[in-house]
Amino acid sequence: MIDCRALTARHGAFSLADVSFAVPSGQYGVVIGPAGSGKTTLLEAIAGIVPLVSGSLQLDGRDATNLAPEARGIGLVYQHAFLFPHLSVAQNIAYGAASAETAEAVAKRFGADALTGRPVRSLSGGERQLVALARAFARKPTVLLLDEPFSALDPRRRTLVRREVRAVHREWGLTTLQVTHDFTEAGLLGDVAILLDGGRALQSGSPEDVFRRPASPYIAEFLGAENVLAGTVRMLDDVAPDWFDGEPSPVAHGYRAIEFSTGGLTIYTVGDFPPESGYAVIRAEEIVLSALPPDGSARNRFLGVITEVATLGALTRVTVDVNGVPLVASLTTRSAKELDFRPGKQVTASFKAMAVHLC
Amino acid sequence: MQRTVAIIAALASSALLLFLAVPIGKLIGSGGADGARRLFTDSELRQSLSLTAITATVATLLGMLGGTPLAYVLARRDFRGRAVLAAVLDLPLLVPHPVAGIALLLVLGRESAFGGAMLQAGLRVVGTPLGIVAAMLFVASPLFISGAREAFARVDVRYEAVARTLGDSPLRAFLRVTLPLSRRGLIASAVVMWARAVSEFGAIVVLTYNPKVASVLSYDRFTSFGLKEALPVAAVLAALALIPLTALRTLRGADDGARQ
Repeated sequence: MIDCRALTARHGAFSLADVSFAVPSGQYGVVIGPAGSGKTTLLEAIAGIVPLVSGSLQLDGRDATNLAPEARGIGLVYQHAFLFPHLSVAQNIAYGAASAETAEAVAKRFGADALTGRPVRSLSGGERQLVALARAFARKPTVLLLDEPFSALDPRRRTLVRREVRAVHREWGLTTLQVTHDFTEAGLLGDVAILLDGGRALQSGSPEDVFRRPASPYIAEFLGAENVLAGTVRMLDDVAPDWFDGEPSPVAHGYRAIEFSTGGLTIYTVGDFPPESGYAVIRAEEIVLSALPPDGSARNRFLGVITEVATLGALTRVTVDVNGVPLVASLTTRSAKELDFRPGKQVTASFKAMAVHLC
Repeated sequence: MQRTVAIIAALASSALLLFLAVPIGKLIGSGGADGARRLFTDSELRQSLSLTAITATVATLLGMLGGTPLAYVLARRDFRGRAVLAAVLDLPLLVPHPVAGIALLLVLGRESAFGGAMLQAGLRVVGTPLGIVAAMLFVASPLFISGAREAFARVDVRYEAVARTLGDSPLRAFLRVTLPLSRRGLIASAVVMWARAVSEFGAIVVLTYNPKVASVLSYDRFTSFGLKEALPVAAVLAALALIPLTALRTLRGADDGARQ
């Protein structure tokens, strides 16, 4: 496992401050965050390359806070691979390998065996990443640290290599921590997601949790939530919010009903949010658009006018103006075409109470 | 306007280039042939050249031995006093070389505690080849340290980081990764140091006039017999310093071409 507690590290002018999170043994952690947020420094601090100022680090159940990098049992792959240019590809993979057989096996597994005859300087960025992965795996580490290891691979190869890395991770029971900019990759690979910004861990948890329930409007926007609305919160008396039309969710029972007002829009949700101002986050895929008018009893169902339709391949984003508040919905391009969604058309936008996250 | 600036720049550069190259060219042209002939007939010149080459080589090896760790620390570690240390290491380049010789005499001369102790141990520095090596080391090793520091700084620290995660100790990572990657820069710095040591005069003449290295012999013949006698020695000495530098630049050029 990787257990960071209040890690503080300094690298030049940059500092990691009070970073705490845990990736349980055998799980796959992903670190996401904007450029310059400290993702690489975090991996280097865990690897022992950037010294810790304070805090503690446990790797696989032992205290690694003061261990030398070579004693930590880690594998590290940088985005730019850092293959040793004075050695051949085969020598790079064999460098630090647990055995010649392991080096050969992982080279084959990552398709790096076809590159062994070539000089390092002639390799493309993607090929370098394959060799760097093989080199790190050949050592048979117990903890694997990956810094955007697939960024230079073409989409087809990226899918294959990502799958292979996940497979080896599972087979060998590794604990892995990967830095990525790619939210899809984070969702596909990660058991645990850590959101880093300005050298601080803003949130950690399952990717589902971090994406669905961001801790702040900044995180929500960073993670690509399309609807982040500032407004005021009012607790309602209803305890069991069965009044959410079509959605007597058992999860909702026992929570307080909440009314959230933003501009000309009042939406309803459930939770324990304190009654003050805050933000409502609704992901675009949670908003359902329909050409039918809203029926009388429904909550979170609004009549609006389409202001923008943006087609992005198989998905289309539709912006609907509801009483001056823009709501963005995401649906398949096929559905958008079938329903003839275009600017100026009147539609009904609806979403479940549980789709609204307050922060 | 741009054209005028370009013309002025080209004229200034050409003038400087001529100023630097012509005296050396003229020296080798005037005395080179005679110097080459005297290599077979003048035993004092031969002994002097071989003493120069040997002492410069010993000084260079000592400079590499002590200078490599210093250069590495300066390139890699961030510590309080680094700027002061770098400035101290550059000092010998800034003081006039006879002054450097006098400073060395104060430390290594028989009157000094250290020089006296060495003398008691049977090691006489002043007036021996050891004094020549000391003078060469003092004035030329900063050039090696400075070049080696740049060579280490050019090697991305993440190569070492990867080597460490692959099981190497800091020393092993240095020997297996950093040293091979900075090899060219280190060799170039050593060659520059050697050439500088070969051409040193001011500090050597204070510490060890006899036995004479080539620069002292050239000066001695100039003051005793005039320009005609000094010229062949000076030309051979200039060629001796130029040969490794020219070879290095040629090799580097060929290597750059191969990389492209």
